[in-house]
Amino acid sequence: MITTVVGNFPKVAEPGYGTQVIGALNRWQKQELSDAGLEEVFQGVTRTVIKEHEDAGIDLVTDGQIRWEDLVTPLARKLDGFTINGLERFFDNNVYYRKPILQSKPVRKQPVFLQEYLFAKRCTSRPIKVVLPGPYTFVSLSEDRYYRNQAKFLRRMAEILNEEARALAQAGASLIQFDEPALGFGKPPLKEIRGALQVAVAGLPTKTALYTYFGSVTAETLRMLQRVPVDLIGVDVVSDPKVLGAVRRLKWTKELAVGCLDARNTKLESVTELHALFDVLRRLVPTDRFTVNPNCGLEFLPHRQAVEKIRRLAEAVRTYRPDSNGRSLAARPRTGRRRTTRLAPRGSRTGDR
Amino acid sequence: MLLTTSVGSLPKPEYLMKARSRARKGEIGAQELKRLEEQATREWIAFQDDLGIDIVVDGEQYRGDMVAYFAEQLAGFKTSELVRSYGNRYYRKPIIVDRVRRLKPMTVSWWQFAQRLTSRPVKGMLTGPYTIMDWSFNEHYPSRRATALALAEVVREEARDLERAGAQYIQIDEPAISTRLDEIDLAIDALGIVTKGLRAKTITHICYGNFKALAPKLMKLPVDQIDLEFANRKFELLDSFRRMRFTKEVGLGVVDVHSHRIEPLDEVVANLTKSLAVFRPDQIYVDPDCGLKTRTPDEAKEKLRVVVEAARVVRERLCNGRSKTPARRVKAAK
Repeated sequence: MITTVVGNFPKVAEPGYGTQVIGALNRWQKQELSDAGLEEVFQGVTRTVIKEHEDAGIDLVTDGQIRWEDLVTPLARKLDGFTINGLERFFDNNVYYRKPILQSKPVRKQPVFLQEYLFAKRCTSRPIKVVLPGPYTFVSLSEDRYYRNQAKFLRRMAEILNEEARALAQAGASLIQFDEPALGFGKPPLKEIRGALQVAVAGLPTKTALYTYFGSVTAETLRMLQRVPVDLIGVDVVSDPKVLGAVRRLKWTKELAVGCLDARNTKLESVTELHALFDVLRRLVPTDRFTVNPNCGLEFLPHRQAVEKIRRLAEAVRTYRPDSNGRSLAARPRTGRRRTTRLAPRGSRTGDR
Repeated sequence: MLLTTSVGSLPKPEYLMKARSRARKGEIGAQELKRLEEQATREWIAFQDDLGIDIVVDGEQYRGDMVAYFAEQLAGFKTSELVRSYGNRYYRKPIIVDRVRRLKPMTVSWWQFAQRLTSRPVKGMLTGPYTIMDWSFNEHYPSRRATALALAEVVREEARDLERAGAQYIQIDEPAISTRLDEIDLAIDALGIVTKGLRAKTITHICYGNFKALAPKLMKLPVDQIDLEFANRKFELLDSFRRMRFTKEVGLGVVDVHSHRIEPLDEVVANLTKSLAVFRPDQIYVDPDCGLKTRTPDEAKEKLRVVVEAARVVRERLCNGRSKTPARRVKAAK
């Protein structure tokens, strides 16, 4: 079992790394702080956040997306063809994002997230994954005033995301993850989405993942995702426990990433309930083929609870002992031994302290 | 007919914003802050009175966030560290850690204070149980349903007390209701607990979200009046109503609260006239789209002025046939 996070992490921590991001952004907006000054603040917080993930015992970390305002505008702002509009609700959350408006053909003139990735890589010896919006979610959250044709917009965004993913993979990203929360809502056009995802992941010399979260993902959608050449598919058991039934009914061929802690509520899951869930998961997929993580990015939580969640996740994995019947034995902390994970480089420690 | 009102919050004057920030730093005491909140409330009531708004609000000068205000006064809640809402904006999201209980009335003394200042009816303003649930973390109740129903009981106590104090209009805002339409029945059940047996006119305000999917459930909301934002959707909502049987009263938002632009009188009159093809005049209450607290005090005043003048123009036209003279007269008077 590998532990990971889905993507973002609180940008402020009181106490901890404080509220410097708020102040820096305010000053930067008033042009009292230079781009370099702002970047310095982002880098300092990013370094701390990565360290917090390591200390909590997370195997596969992200950089916490400290520079990201939401899932779509960091990409849209760096591409040609978009303007950024007013606030819209982010799925079923009381959280808002700014809507990208496509005005002309989207073009990627330069790498978008490469520098962020390279910085994060310098901060840790752990494998780092890069998270990108999936093409369908990006298109769903944007407004298309150029193609006025969802299939064409989707196709073009998939090409752009593929260019970006290739650059990141070449730079050494351990895993490239595409987030597709939009798949949990309404009736997604599965054929077009499959085509777009195939374009997005084509020819990537690294491990790839597709994450769904929020809403409710149907068996048909999962069946479609299984036909996309990715290594890992993420499902959110917290938002919709029924998704496990869908996984059971399908012949599961991929690695499975399971969102098993609620990153949208402060209530902390117990080790016992996580072990019970792992017992269920073991019957669906062998433990060496599943990853566990919170159900979505941790930025919905205050910093204190975000840290508690990832610590609890790592603790539950560390103390999990399945017996031969698939039931967990009484949990005892194991010391001095290390689980080997496919992603952890040899010699790295995965959380036992 | 075409009675005018506003949705609830009004902007806080500069001196009150400063005082709130100083109070947070401990530089001024609670009493001094309250004195300034009362002063601002007095000013807003006087403004609404002079303008001739039919149903006035206290302007919520003493409230910050519409959920946190109640969470801070209820037992069972604690405050979280900062979480981000959007962009560079953060807030403290309440956490339910124990059974929710109302220790004392939360809005009644402010309502009484406001009502003593005017002979017009003052609307009681509450946040609905579904919205309080959706905008809080929950560590105590076993489900979202259990949380919303428990909150409904305490909001009901508050609504009862407002009615007992003399409120003829009680608005229970549920802006979160359109977020998760799979939970609309829960929101309806919770709101039903709040409004059951109230004799006061009940109103709910709903914003954002997918209106088309919500429309079939509107008649099921257990309130007399549903207040919606029409202006920022360029009155497209009218089409949805044209195709359905809708017999409740409607709060018709005729000015956009998210834009700095002051809508010209002619535009609001035209939109209001258009609405008369869909609703009966006695069904319509005219107001801004949403609370005006995000605008500057001057913008808010200008927007309210347009609301009241437009309603007056259309009312006069209705009474005097479709003559255009009253409109000109009002414009000239301005």
